[in-house]
Amino acid sequence: MPSLFVIRGNDQGSRFELEDTAARLGRDSSGAIQVHDTEVSRQHAEIRRIGHDYTIIDLGSSNGTFVNGKRIEQHRLCSGDQVQVGSTLMLYTGPSDEPDEGLQQAIRIATSQQVDDRSQIIHSVTEEEGSRIFDPGADSLQNPWLARARSNLQVMYRTALAVSHTLDIDRLLQRIMELIFEWVDADRGCIMLVEPPNDELVPKVRRTRDGIRGDDRITISKTILDYVTERNEGVLTSDARQDERWDSAASIVQMRVREAICVPMRGRYDMVGVIYIDTSTPPQEIIRQGGANKFTEDHLKLMVAIAHQAALAVEDTRYYSAMVQAERLAAIGQTVATLSHHIKNILQGIRGGSYLIELGLSEHDETVVDKGWKIVEKNQSKISSLVMDMLTFSKEREPDLAVANINQVAGDVIELMQVRADEMQVDLHWEPGDPMPDLVFDPEGLHRAVLNVATNAIDAAGESSPPGRVAVRSRYAADKAVVRITVEDNGPGIPPDQIDHLFSPFVSSKKSRGTGLGLPVSQKILNEHGGRILVDSTPGRGSRFVLELPAVIPQAKSQTSTH
Amino acid sequence: MEGVILDRQRSVLIVDHSEETCEVLQTALQRRGLQTFVASRARAGLELARRHHPDLIVLDLELDPAGPEDVTAHFFEQSQADHAPLVMLGSVRREETGLAGGEFVPKPYHYAPLVRRIEELLDTSSYPLARAD
Repeated sequence: MPSLFVIRGNDQGSRFELEDTAARLGRDSSGAIQVHDTEVSRQHAEIRRIGHDYTIIDLGSSNGTFVNGKRIEQHRLCSGDQVQVGSTLMLYTGPSDEPDEGLQQAIRIATSQQVDDRSQIIHSVTEEEGSRIFDPGADSLQNPWLARARSNLQVMYRTALAVSHTLDIDRLLQRIMELIFEWVDADRGCIMLVEPPNDELVPKVRRTRDGIRGDDRITISKTILDYVTERNEGVLTSDARQDERWDSAASIVQMRVREAICVPMRGRYDMVGVIYIDTSTPPQEIIRQGGANKFTEDHLKLMVAIAHQAALAVEDTRYYSAMVQAERLAAIGQTVATLSHHIKNILQGIRGGSYLIELGLSEHDETVVDKGWKIVEKNQSKISSLVMDMLTFSKEREPDLAVANINQVAGDVIELMQVRADEMQVDLHWEPGDPMPDLVFDPEGLHRAVLNVATNAIDAAGESSPPGRVAVRSRYAADKAVVRITVEDNGPGIPPDQIDHLFSPFVSSKKSRGTGLGLPVSQKILNEHGGRILVDSTPGRGSRFVLELPAVIPQAKSQTSTH
Repeated sequence: MEGVILDRQRSVLIVDHSEETCEVLQTALQRRGLQTFVASRARAGLELARRHHPDLIVLDLELDPAGPEDVTAHFFEQSQADHAPLVMLGSVRREETGLAGGEFVPKPYHYAPLVRRIEELLDTSSYPLARAD
């Protein structure tokens, strides 16, 4: 499904799927793509599907519609295009190519048994080795051109490798600078990136050749930088004084830069920065070599290519970070929304309780006070349970191990749940396992885990139209050294698409009743014990949750406790 | 309210998924001499409304999704037909419901003002009460 993903702006993290043949984009809530941005017009633009393509059309907006930084009236969108309206920046992802159904048949992965291909591996190359394919061989002495071409190819290959190996921009740039220094005879070099808020070039990496004084300050002529950034061209200044373009700029002469290469880092959309290297040859060497030409046009071309690779990597890394950030923000938003809703309901309950107490007191009616008090108490325990769940979920903790009996723990839960089950007219059935030895586990943690699962089961069974039924069983499997607590309900079951999200925090299917923390907390407690929760659900029939944990027999009593 | 003599006991229907809310409103309203009907689900609530024609309906807008899609619209229709004011509880704005009438009380609310409002609405609604002046 083609979509627009907001990577900057108030709606950062939102994804708008383009389902219809025409989708309005604007501040207006009637449009399919509503953007909360005051610089965006109510009816700002429209995205129309024409055949397989999508075209964005500006609807005479006040501030204009921009694609990849250029103002447009109409533009056919390609995957990766950046659409900017007001201060909202969105990334367009086009429709995926129709899956080739024949592809599955056309390509077959054969197992070793299905031998109609007797090919054998006769040589293999690691990625590391791959970079050495282009090592200058013996013939390079006879053919300098070939040697140079190989060496250039190798530099590009290693640049590509460097780019693929990290998501850390600083380390990436460091590595690229190292590569450049290995391959060209530069004295000093630096990489600068364009950074907000003023889109200024900020130095990121600086390097000097061994033997050159490290504290030597790199001064880069603004004239060169402006030329490179404005024209988006790489420049080689082999001898600054002879290049008439720089005549007016006395800075180069004064700085005595004899050779420099400065290239733009041009990415998919923008120029993200520049790479600069220079070298200065002492007069005696110039006399000896008959000139200073350490940098050649080949160097410049290759630098342009390297800079492009680096720029793509910088852009990718930035988008990746923006995506991660956006997803994190969306998750926080969801968490806060769920929690607020739950706390709001508890608050509503407390208000109801205290209202009844007030009413009862003023009318000297103790039964009303009592009613109110019960409601307040119930909500107090809801808050306490919410806080406990949040604490359990939020920090890494060790289970508080003690010798206890699973039947005791589960039995306590059943007793506690009986009232709720009665209220919802659910038959709660408890079948303790026998034998059940005392084991080492965290009784309080397990109590919480069973409670959360049982609460869900009762709520689910309460939904069903035949009499609701929840069965809880415990079993000790000595041969496998595990204990299982099974909670089974005859509720509506869990739709298959929701099973995957069952243990994701703050995703509740119980709307106002759930915190979305119950199952994640239960799972965490079981995991802490080295156990797990197994789920089996048939929509329309009910669900079964199995809490399984390793049975740890207490050391001192291991002989007697099984009886 | 005092001094007004009614020819029949007036009634309020409360439709709210929260048993607590139902209990609190029921207790408060009953003490004011009102008859109450209570439902925790939309479908059951609608049935009660059609059977008993209450004088006022209190509807929770955050009902569980089991009911029909346009729950609010059904209740609104019924309240219009019965000339019974509809009080809706929840964080929903009027524009979102598309309803031409009804009272909206945002959550979380306080009970005292809500109960007062219910009384006011009952006073001014269907029964043109014979007032002393």
